[in-house]
Amino acid sequence: MLDDELSVSTRERDGVAIIDLVGDVTTFAEEKINTAYAQATGQGARHILLNFRQNDYINSAGIAILIGIVTEVNRNNQKLAVSGLSQHFQKIFRMVGLAQYADIYQDEEEAVRGFAATAA
Amino acid sequence: MTLQMATSNPFIELSVPSELGYEKIARDAVAAFARRLGCDRERVEDLKTALSEACINAIEHGNASVSGLRVDIQCTGMVDRLMVEVRDYGVRRYPGDMPVVGIDLKLQGLAPRRGMGLMMISQLVDEAGFTENTEGGNRFRLVLYFRRS
Repeated sequence: MLDDELSVSTRERDGVAIIDLVGDVTTFAEEKINTAYAQATGQGARHILLNFRQNDYINSAGIAILIGIVTEVNRNNQKLAVSGLSQHFQKIFRMVGLAQYADIYQDEEEAVRGFAATAA
Repeated sequence: MTLQMATSNPFIELSVPSELGYEKIARDAVAAFARRLGCDRERVEDLKTALSEACINAIEHGNASVSGLRVDIQCTGMVDRLMVEVRDYGVRRYPGDMPVVGIDLKLQGLAPRRGMGLMMISQLVDEAGFTENTEGGNRFRLVLYFRRS
């Protein structure tokens, strides 16, 4: 089995919990992404940003993981956004319906401004 | 991997282990082939995702995640299109006629979160579906009509 090629880390910026996802989002990513989300939520995050970087490969198994995150975000009354996706993966997110539940921004700056605008 | 350019239709075939992760290798090889034929960048991205999903279906469903099996991919370039066939060993018949379930039901826990691959494929390429395979196993065909870059 080829191992995963995803690095996940969390940080906070202007009241937004940013989860950086660097690399491939596939079935191998589940534990890392869920752990990062649980960590952010445990610290009281209300605004969650999945910040994608260098994502050459996001497949349906990875999308299923993100659907799980949306489920938790809804349950915890949080707000979710995504940034950094290529045009192709923005199209995929719209195709599968994820864009109905997470605002899509071009980059982190725009996303943080977007969260601030909705909170104002 | 075999590359044949002498015939009128360029043609490659490759065989990868039936293990998750190897679909990425198949995807990259087929993408390089499509680019060589002049397929534009956006269509190559569509093909990469569609082929990955077809390979994952072959690994997880057709070959039922049985170790030691392989997934065979054959690509033929034509004047106006690229045809890709993905074949597995047919441990399980996989007709792929399951109903498409929207994200709303998945979020409500009323449907599995997985199972979006065929829907994605159908929207990313121009033709997709299972074809007759007299050798046994499932054979899934993708056709992409390309705009040359």
